[in-house]
Amino acid sequence: MNSRVPWLFSLGIGLLGCGDGDKLPAQQPEQVVSERLAPGVRRLSSPELDAAAASLFGAEIGLSRKIPPDARQNDYSRNEAQTVDSLTLGSLYDAAQAATSTLDLGHAPFPSCAKTAAVGDQACESATIAALARLAFRRVATDAEVGQLQALFDLGASGQMFGDGVAVVLRALLASPKFLYATTLGASMPSGDVALSDEELASELAFLISGTPPDDTLLDAAARGELRSGASREAQAVRLMQQSGSRFLYRRFVEEWLGIVRLSGLAKSSSVVNDWTTLRGAMLDETNAFIDDIFAQQNGSLSMLFAGGYSIIPSGLAAFYGIEPTPPGARVALDQLGRSGILQQASFLATFAHEDESAPVLRGKAVLIRVLCQHITLPEELGLDVHLPPPDPTATTRERFAAHALDPQCAQCHNALDGVGFTFEDFDAVGRFRSHENGKPIDTSGSVNFDGQTLQLADSVALSRALATSSDAQHCAARQVVRFAAGQTDVKVEDAFADAMQTAPLERRASLTGLFLEFVKSDVFAWRRSP
Amino acid sequence: MTVSLTAPRKISRRAALTALGAGAAATLLRPSAPLRAQAAPTARYFIGVYMPHGMARELWVPQTGFNISYENAVLSPFDDAATFGQSFRQNIVALEGLDLTAGIKAGTTGHDASRVILTGSGTNGDNSSLDQFLAVEQGLGQSTPLSSLVLGVGLADPQLDWCISYAKGGSALPKVIDPSDTFNKAFAQWIVGSDPAAIARADRERQIGKSLLDYWTADLNALAARVPAAEKDKIDQHAAALRDLEKRVNGQALNCALPSAPDPSLYPFIESYNKGEPYFETITNLQIDLLVQAMACDVTRFGTLFLADLSRTGFDPVLPEDVHIDVAHRYATAGRAGVGGDPSTWAMLGRQNRYAYSKVARIVQRLSEAGLLDQTVLVAMSDMGDPAVHSSRQIPTVLAGGWGGKLTGGRHIDLGADGTPSNRLLVSIQQAFGVDSNEFGQSQDPTVITGALDLG
Repeated sequence: MNSRVPWLFSLGIGLLGCGDGDKLPAQQPEQVVSERLAPGVRRLSSPELDAAAASLFGAEIGLSRKIPPDARQNDYSRNEAQTVDSLTLGSLYDAAQAATSTLDLGHAPFPSCAKTAAVGDQACESATIAALARLAFRRVATDAEVGQLQALFDLGASGQMFGDGVAVVLRALLASPKFLYATTLGASMPSGDVALSDEELASELAFLISGTPPDDTLLDAAARGELRSGASREAQAVRLMQQSGSRFLYRRFVEEWLGIVRLSGLAKSSSVVNDWTTLRGAMLDETNAFIDDIFAQQNGSLSMLFAGGYSIIPSGLAAFYGIEPTPPGARVALDQLGRSGILQQASFLATFAHEDESAPVLRGKAVLIRVLCQHITLPEELGLDVHLPPPDPTATTRERFAAHALDPQCAQCHNALDGVGFTFEDFDAVGRFRSHENGKPIDTSGSVNFDGQTLQLADSVALSRALATSSDAQHCAARQVVRFAAGQTDVKVEDAFADAMQTAPLERRASLTGLFLEFVKSDVFAWRRSP
Repeated sequence: MTVSLTAPRKISRRAALTALGAGAAATLLRPSAPLRAQAAPTARYFIGVYMPHGMARELWVPQTGFNISYENAVLSPFDDAATFGQSFRQNIVALEGLDLTAGIKAGTTGHDASRVILTGSGTNGDNSSLDQFLAVEQGLGQSTPLSSLVLGVGLADPQLDWCISYAKGGSALPKVIDPSDTFNKAFAQWIVGSDPAAIARADRERQIGKSLLDYWTADLNALAARVPAAEKDKIDQHAAALRDLEKRVNGQALNCALPSAPDPSLYPFIESYNKGEPYFETITNLQIDLLVQAMACDVTRFGTLFLADLSRTGFDPVLPEDVHIDVAHRYATAGRAGVGGDPSTWAMLGRQNRYAYSKVARIVQRLSEAGLLDQTVLVAMSDMGDPAVHSSRQIPTVLAGGWGGKLTGGRHIDLGADGTPSNRLLVSIQQAFGVDSNEFGQSQDPTVITGALDLG
């Protein structure tokens, strides 16, 4: 934990006692961001369900492997599109039955009495049911709720053992709507806005920052009403960020934001690479380690993410990058490798490429849409046909794709797309460096428009360095944090939050960590508009 | 509230629901009012098949006399008695001239357009696909253990552009891609065992399952009372899932001999891009056989199948590894201005098309063997016509089955070059199931979603 303390101070944060000294605010909005998200219900994503089930059973039960994959919106899996369809519910039913077929009641979360309790031990039954319900519902269960679960316990334990009663209770909880959905329904206030309940605030905060259900500390703070205060929420978020599990959430955010999550579903031609699946795993290992480092050691700095000049390269990628293997976790300087940050990592480059060749259009589109949040009109919207240039063993990819610029209709967008995409042309279909293609030297020159100006670029490293300090990139990152955190796309709210962040201190607006903290502190997090 | 279910067998199911606070359960769990009003006979079974990578139209068009067996003809599997036991030439209609107009008008075309095939709406549409509309909203799947089976090969992800089945509200439904899962979903509930202990366990499990369903129904009702109107579709979908589970828990008699489970050693990998491709041929055949068996056993009457392509399968050594780029995008049709046409590219795409149609022919064969073909509506369609330019216009489509007496096969119907909205096919199909409505899908232009095809 200590190694992480410095970044807290660099973000303008001391190690706060959670809730210490925070007076409870009145139930009214605190800040100037007036736009509100819609209230609703969100079925937990697979990783969240895994974490929630693990807390309920006291051990991993591998739920995500037994239910269908998550739906994604803009590649984000934490979203309102997750539903409980017939296949998912049937799979949950089966998974719960299997997971409860053998239960070890000798460890948390089961009360110590549970291991030896007999059916009819009312005190232990009540204690067990209450403890499990609190974990599943992420709040204290009401008497009525405990009564319903007691009835199910009695059914399971009838003529059986204590554990059989527990098993039925766990099965009930695991597929309960109260377990499956995170709600942001709140309660209407005199202002007309909807204030999230204390329990909802705790759940939203925990799932967003640590990817897990709220722990006792957070639930206790919620019970005291402390999470109504933005400062308290921020303090709790800082505490949660220091827990190891939070790094998985940051990996998920960055890889979904930049589209790298798609890599595991992509193939590459055997004419380009052998043993693609092994190489792909190593690519993801590099990116995971790099993101971990960016958050743990670099304050989630956008500048370092795009142009930190280093990476953490697993031994399985050393030959691919043309370097000697380095000790696990060691930083490798990239200045001699023609790379700069995450956009030159093999995972990103291979994601945005075809099976057997680079894809300047896809790479340009990824940067413009994902990193700069620019709008690109798709050919389909203009009623234009899409043409891929035919293969030509005497030409470079750039020469073939340059035909786009010759058609005035296509040129409207492709000048922007290709101007960025061509800067990555020194990387092939899997992100391997190349200086020549089909016997001709690679040309990586290009251009990009952002921050109100046109920049001429020598290559993608120049692009990354420009992005590292771009106010447009910071604004886009703020928008993406809202999109991920909210689990929905609401451009008005994104605009309002991202605009507000422009006046935030640099260490906040240019840091993903800072943006997450600003978000949980804001009214956008704690309030919803009237339905 | 103090609730006791300690003696559930003494409590009627309705009383238990009420005790759990589920007084409104019946309202929640009932599908919307059906529109069926037409007289019998109607179609009984529906299968929708997605075919990847558009179509080599030059090799698809039947020649004079509905000849579909000329050299390189992609429809030839339907006239291949040596492989499929008999010719099914008279059981199909080759329909051309359909556009995915609702998608085109919404900017949902090309690789995104698979969602348009059965929904008749673009990406922002929130209506269900035809299979789900009939099975869930119209209640035609209510009486069978499964309201529908949504199957695929290779890709399970319920991504917007890789599905053809959608729930009301617009969410893509996940596909079952593992034949073992398909078998378990369709048939595992009947594997009980004959010894008294096994029967007792099954009986106890049924009692527990019913009580769990009551509990979840009550919870969902409580949640339904709190959510805003915009979230109602989510609750409805969850309620429909509970209804499906309820049928499974209650148990129904199986109207056939229990089929044997597939051998998972035949498909050690099942996912696209993750070593599954060499097993796709086996997986596809098993998925087809299980789907039709499920229909023959009246486990379900509605199914969809999302076929994979031949990339990296090694099934056709003539095709390159990457069918998408190296075949579909190289297709040079004679019909595209300025192209002139390259027959060698037709032949390559035709190989992929013919393979996909061989799987559709297998479905037809199995339906015929089960005696279901005359009552089945089968539609096989791609998301594109000319794939090289991602065009979702002029998509050659195959209709099969007897549609409950409403379709005569052995015909080529050309709707013309102007492009007929595919919604009209969906309207025709829903009418074949007795749904008294003249529109299907969503579009800002009401003419797109209105009217049926003249298939007479």
